[in-house]
Amino acid sequence: METLQGIVDNYYYMVAIILFVIGMYTMLTHSNMIKKVIAMNIMDASVFLMFVAVGYAHGSQAPIIRDNVEIIYANPLPGALILTGIVVAVSVTAYALSLVVKIYRYYDTCDYDEICEMRSKE
Amino acid sequence: MDVTISKLPFYCVIIPLIASFCMPVLARWKKEFCAPLATLATAAVFVITLVIGYQVMNNGPLAYHVSGWEPPWGIEILVESLSSLMIMLISGVCLVIMVYSFVAVKFELERIITGWYYTAFLLCLSGMTGLVISNDIFNMYVLIEITGISACALVVAKGSRMATEAALKYLLLATIGSGFILFGIGFIYMITGHLNISFIAIELAEVKDTYPILIWTTLSFFVVGFGVKAALFPLHLWLPDAHSSAPSPSSALLSSLVVKVYIISFLKILFIAFGLEIFHETFIRHLIIVLAVIAMLSGSFFAFVQIELKRRLAYSTVAQIGYIFLGIGLGTPWGLAAGMLHILVHAFMKTCLFLCAGAIAYQTGRKQVNEFAGMGYKMPITMGAFTIASFSMVGIPLFGGFISKYGLALGSLEAGIPSIILVIILSGLLNATYYFPIIGQAYFSQDEHEAHGEEHGAKKFQKDQLPISMLAPIVVIALGIIYLGIFPGTALNFINQTIAMLL
Repeated sequence: METLQGIVDNYYYMVAIILFVIGMYTMLTHSNMIKKVIAMNIMDASVFLMFVAVGYAHGSQAPIIRDNVEIIYANPLPGALILTGIVVAVSVTAYALSLVVKIYRYYDTCDYDEICEMRSKE
Repeated sequence: MDVTISKLPFYCVIIPLIASFCMPVLARWKKEFCAPLATLATAAVFVITLVIGYQVMNNGPLAYHVSGWEPPWGIEILVESLSSLMIMLISGVCLVIMVYSFVAVKFELERIITGWYYTAFLLCLSGMTGLVISNDIFNMYVLIEITGISACALVVAKGSRMATEAALKYLLLATIGSGFILFGIGFIYMITGHLNISFIAIELAEVKDTYPILIWTTLSFFVVGFGVKAALFPLHLWLPDAHSSAPSPSSALLSSLVVKVYIISFLKILFIAFGLEIFHETFIRHLIIVLAVIAMLSGSFFAFVQIELKRRLAYSTVAQIGYIFLGIGLGTPWGLAAGMLHILVHAFMKTCLFLCAGAIAYQTGRKQVNEFAGMGYKMPITMGAFTIASFSMVGIPLFGGFISKYGLALGSLEAGIPSIILVIILSGLLNATYYFPIIGQAYFSQDEHEAHGEEHGAKKFQKDQLPISMLAPIVVIALGIIYLGIFPGTALNFINQTIAMLL
């Protein structure tokens, strides 16, 4: 019961793990390259969610210091770090999409299975 | 300590970074200046790393706090003796490859790409040096991404269909790897509240009994993440395509350095952040040893059946990564030292082999392993270097590969698993089965196409028709392999200082 309560209380970690698995599964099983890139983004987003959640405490507020008020502040460091992570993810996405465009120009398709078929016929 | 000297490690990241962003501009303005400027920047980094190496050897580790913030808050750069050796290796090999790419780039790449090629090359250099010397795990993540993306760019520079596909595959799998690593970093931050490796180590030693499952999870995330990045056997799927379809200077860089820097940072996280206790308590070392042994054997088997030379070399890298991971898994002083020495030796060997493969394709246009008949007479210097590197790969005494294999054998005796020695010998023999036929062909059989018209059996040595800027790097690297085989003492000194600190 205690474990269950713990899971319910920290549901955001669960969501992060589920998203991570969805992203990885889609990325490894789907043959469409655009879907692979989308899945990559889902996976990255799950990591960011988990990271930001680390900085959150129950009932905490944004870390803006106000006088004479006793409140719990959220840890701003994970958020700041993840900003870097988001930038990295955006640039990797742009890069991957540009590669997909390049492959599309060669084969007229961005489906990996079709490309394999085409290559085996050559 | 002197202020300027403590800033030196920072310069060897920032100089290539600035130079790399000058390249595209320079390529538009004066294309012929790109290569000399890039070489100059790499040479400057090499000189700086030599000074750092000298300093670290005499005065102990160098620490630098980026923009003056003290460690728990700011980013710390820490150069201990192993890192200093590795940055010397990275910048030295990069310099050699850079000189080689003067001509190779003109031959293999389209003219318009040249500037971008050097951008990616220098970015990769700065990412790798940063990754090795950084002492902050989030900073490591950023540098991992820089290295990964620029490595993909180096593959795709070739512009062919195969290269583009291989680069996309590499990029997607590398992103899975860095996703796992970032998840692990998140867990570590959750457990300890620190990002600096030294502080994590202190904190983890205190709380490791409170969160046993979370530590297991974190470790497995790191193993998978770095395993994908460093091409540990079942996760190596991206490596053969990427390394064989890239232009040959890029394959040399990717195969000899890029996969290794991830191993160094994995070593740092495993041994410094988690510490020896966790390493021995969990079954992580058994997992690493098993995977390494499978990698050593199956990588060689896969290499054996490849017909394309560069593909064969790429699969051989998978096997050699197994040796390095075996050294880490053994976790004994000799095992670790041999694993780290193998990083050095393998960097030299693989650079030499890939550069030779590129040189042979440049002069004769041959890329298959069964087209090497009489090559030893047509290109004596290149094939000589190829032979040296292959002998070292197999582990013949007097060459660098022997020392690291011997060290690994000693390490497995220390760890109490003598059966590993059999695997090392078997893997060495397997290496022989796929390198010796090439060499045998090159020296002992006649080229059918050219035998006609000449008098029978005339085997005359000719001079290599290579420009000096391609020949010199090959010779330098080949001499380096012999040097490491005869005088491994200096390198081992550097390695053992750090290992004494770790164990």
